[in-house]
Amino acid sequence: MSDSTIKHHEESRDVTFRVHRFNPQVDSKPYFDDYTIKLEKGITVLRALNYIKEHVDSTLTFRAFCQAGICGSCAMRINSMSKLACTTQVWDELDKAREPGVIKIEPLRNLPHIKDLVVEMDPVVGKMKKYSNWVDSRMPEEQWGKKEFLVSEEEFQTYDKATDCILCASCVSECTILRAHKEYVSPVVLLRSYRMNADSRDGIHDQRLAGLVQDHGVWDCTHCYRCQETCVKNIPIMDAIHGIREDAIERRGTKDTSGARHAEAFMDDIEKKGKLVEATLPIRTNGIAWTLKNLLPMAVKMIIKRRTPPPPPLVKASKGIQSLRKEMKEMASHVTKDHEKKSGE
Amino acid sequence: MKPFDIVIVGGGGAGLYAAMEAMKTNPGLNIAVLSKIYPNRSHTSAAQGGANAALANKAKDDTVEMHIFDTIKGSDYLADQDAVEVLCSEAPKIIRELDNMGTPWSRMDDKTIAQRPFGGAGRPRCCYCADKTGHTILQTLYEQCLRKGVFFFNEYFALDLSMDGSRSRGLIAMNIKTGKVEAFPAKTVIFATGGYAKMYWNRSSNAAGNTGDGQAIAYRAGIPLKDMEFVQFHPTGLRKSGLLVTEGARGEGGYLVNALGERFMSRYAPEKMELGPRDLVSRSLETEILEGRGFDSPAGKYLHLDLRHLGADLIKSRLPQIREMCMYFEGVDPIDDPVPVRPTAHYSMGGIDTDNFGRTVMEGVYAAGECGCVSVHGANRLGGNSLLDILVFGRIAGRAAAEECGKFNPSAIPASEVAEKEHELRSFMQPRGHYERYGTLREDLGHTLGVNVGIFREASKIKKGIADIEGLQDRFRHVRVFDTGDIYNTNLLQVLELKNMLDLSETVAEGALAREESRGSHTRTDFPTRDDEKWHKHTIYTYESGRPKLAYKPVTMGRYELQERTY
Repeated sequence: MSDSTIKHHEESRDVTFRVHRFNPQVDSKPYFDDYTIKLEKGITVLRALNYIKEHVDSTLTFRAFCQAGICGSCAMRINSMSKLACTTQVWDELDKAREPGVIKIEPLRNLPHIKDLVVEMDPVVGKMKKYSNWVDSRMPEEQWGKKEFLVSEEEFQTYDKATDCILCASCVSECTILRAHKEYVSPVVLLRSYRMNADSRDGIHDQRLAGLVQDHGVWDCTHCYRCQETCVKNIPIMDAIHGIREDAIERRGTKDTSGARHAEAFMDDIEKKGKLVEATLPIRTNGIAWTLKNLLPMAVKMIIKRRTPPPPPLVKASKGIQSLRKEMKEMASHVTKDHEKKSGE
Repeated sequence: MKPFDIVIVGGGGAGLYAAMEAMKTNPGLNIAVLSKIYPNRSHTSAAQGGANAALANKAKDDTVEMHIFDTIKGSDYLADQDAVEVLCSEAPKIIRELDNMGTPWSRMDDKTIAQRPFGGAGRPRCCYCADKTGHTILQTLYEQCLRKGVFFFNEYFALDLSMDGSRSRGLIAMNIKTGKVEAFPAKTVIFATGGYAKMYWNRSSNAAGNTGDGQAIAYRAGIPLKDMEFVQFHPTGLRKSGLLVTEGARGEGGYLVNALGERFMSRYAPEKMELGPRDLVSRSLETEILEGRGFDSPAGKYLHLDLRHLGADLIKSRLPQIREMCMYFEGVDPIDDPVPVRPTAHYSMGGIDTDNFGRTVMEGVYAAGECGCVSVHGANRLGGNSLLDILVFGRIAGRAAAEECGKFNPSAIPASEVAEKEHELRSFMQPRGHYERYGTLREDLGHTLGVNVGIFREASKIKKGIADIEGLQDRFRHVRVFDTGDIYNTNLLQVLELKNMLDLSETVAEGALAREESRGSHTRTDFPTRDDEKWHKHTIYTYESGRPKLAYKPVTMGRYELQERTY
C-alpha cells in the first residue's frame, strides 16, 4: 500500500489565472483580473475556474456544462489558443506559459462578445441554416420509420470523423479569414457541409454546393490550416474544405466561379511555367474588365508609392520541372480514377 | 400576446423530438423550444453506448417481446408493463426514422444498422454510432429542427409555471443574456429538462446543469413526481470529477484493485469478477471503501482500475477514448498508472409522473425523457434504454400536445407576476450580514446524499441525510448572489439550480426512508430483500406546505409475473 501512496502523492503549487473581464453593463473597456490559487497536479483549467467562481469571485462568468469534452460549451482561449477548458490540464498549460506560473484566459475571437469569457453563438447557428447543414432526406417524411437506408461502412467512414464535431467554435475563433470577413462561411460550417454532401441519404447536394461556391464561401479559405491545428476533436477540417473544392470543380467545372478559375490558373502556371505568374493571375481569375476596374487603380497607386517590386527576371524552366510535370499528370490521373470509381459505385 | 400552442422546456433528445413531431403533426402550430443552453450542448450528447431496438439486424431471432421482457426484468418488476410495451414496440421504427433523417449509424457488412450486445439484454440489439451515439443523435435532431424552422429561445432559464388557480397558463422564464424575466403564455407545456442526478454533485457523472429544473418547477406547481428514490450508480466514475469510465474498460480485462493490492471482486462475484452486473459491482466498490480498504486523497477515497497488464498496444487501439479521458481529467495515463475510480450517480429513474402519452395530472402539462417517469425503467434502467426512452416518449408527448393544444384557452399572464418574479430574483443580491456561498452548499448537498442516501442506505443514515438537507435549506435562505448585473448572470443561475436540487433531494431522501425493501438501485442494508407484498408499488410525491407528501400507486402488470431477478 505504501508504494501506491507514495507514487500518487501529488505535487501542488500556486497558479495565477489572468482572466479577460468585461461586463458591458458596468465596464467601459475590457481588463484582466489575476486569480492566484493553490492547485494540485491533475486539475483541469475548468475545475480551476469553477473553484475561483465558487470560492473566490462569483462574478467571473463562463459557460460550462458536461465537463467531459462532449458538449463544447467551455471553449475559450487559453494561452492564446482556442480549446476546451474542461479537457485542458493546468500543468500542461504551465509549460506553455509566457510568464512563469501565469495562465492567460480569454474569450473566443471572431464572435460578438457578451461578458467575460462568454461570446454569442448565434452567428454560427445562422450560418448552419444559411448553408443547409442538415441531411435533407431523399425519403419523403411520410415514409420515415418504415425501412432503413442501406449505407456501406465505407461511406460511413467518409464522414465518421466529421460527425465528431461538437460545435465548440474553436476553429471559428482561430480562423484568419473570419478575422477579416465576418460573412465568411467559417471552417465548422464547411466541415458540416462536406459531411452532409458525402451522405448518400441527402437529396440537396447540388443546391448546397451552389451556395458554397458563392462569395464568402469555400473558395475564400487561404489554407492556413489554423482550424485543423485548433480542432479539439482532431478533425481534419482542411480535408473537408479541399473535398468541397474538388467536388465543386468536378460537378460545376472550372469556369464556374472565380475561386475555381483561380485554382485552375495556379495549376496551369505550375505545369507550364514551373512558377506563378502573378501579374496575369487576377485576369485569369476574375477577367480583364474586373481587373482593370478593381485592381488597375490600386496597382497604379502602388507603383506611384513605390510599393511594387520590379518585375521578376525571366528564368528558364529548371531541370526538375520535367519530373514535376510528370508527377502532376500522374496525380491528376489518380484523382480522375478515384472520381470514376466513386461515381461508378 | 397570443399564447404559444406548445412551449417545450429543454432542448435535448426528448425536447427536440417533441418539437419535430409536433410540427409534423400540425405545421400551423406556434411552437417554442426554451433551453438554458444551446440545444446541441444538451446532455443527450454524453450517451456513448447506443439505443436498444429489436431490429434483428445482428441476431436474426431477436424480437420486440424479448426486449420487453429484458426491460421489465431489468426494472426489478417496477416498470409499468404497458409502458414498456410502447417503448419496445416503437423502438425499431424510431431507429429507422433517425436513419431516414440522417443519423450516422455504424453499419454491418450488409449495410444495415450495426448492433452490439449490452448489459441485461438477451440479444445484441443496441444500435450505435461508434462511441458517440447520443452526440450524433442530438446533432441530427438539432439539424432537423433547424431545417424545419423550429423557433428556439436559446439560453432561457425556466423559473415557474404561471398558474391560474390549479391550471397552467404558461411559463415564466429568464432570458440569460439580458437577465429579463419574460412570460410565455402557452396552451401546453412539455417538460424535457433531463435528470436530477447532479444533486450528488461531484459524485455524479452528469453535466453541471442536470439539476432537475423541470421536475422542481412541476413539483412546486403541485404536479406529482414518481419513484424519485431510484438513482442508478455506475461503478467506475473518475475520482475527481465523477465522470464515467465506460464498462468497456472492464470488458477488455481491466482489474479492480484495493489498497491492499487485492482484486477484491473475488469476494463478491468469484466467477464473473469485474464483469458482474452494474449494481453489484457498485456495491462491491462501496463496501471496500467503507471497510477501509480504499486509497485516500484530498478528493476523497477511491479504488484502482488497473489496465496496465493489458499493454500499451491494446489500450491505444481499443480504449483510446478512455485513455484520453484519464489523461484529461485525472492526469493519469492508464498505460503507466492505475486509474483512480469510485462509484458515481449516473441516472435518475424517477421524475414527473406521466401516463403513456406524457400527460401529467395537470391539464396541458406534459413531461418526457429522463425528466418524466412513465415508468419504463422501474427500479433500475438497462443500458441502451435511456436514449430510446427520450426518443420514443419525446415523440409521443410532442404528438399528444399538438393534437390536444386546441382544447385549451389559457388566460393572459398578468404583468405583475413577471414583476414579482424579478423582485424575487433581485432579493438574492441584497447584501446580508451573514451569508452563504452556493458552492459550499452544493458540495455539502452532494456529500450528504452520497454518504447517507447513496448506494447503501439504512434508516439512521437516511434520517441524518434528511436532517442535513433541512439544514441546507435553512442555510440557503442566506445565500448571496455576488454578481448584481443583469447580463449572463451565471452566479444567479447556479443559485436557482441549487434550489431546485435541494427541493428534489427531499423527495429522494423521504422516498428512500419510506421504502423498506431493497429493489433495483435502492439498497437498504436494514431491509436487504425485495418485498413485493408491501412494496411492489410506485412512490408518488406531492408538494404540500414546502414538504413532500408521500402516496403510492400500483404497478401496471401485464404478461409477465413477478420473478426473482437473477443473472
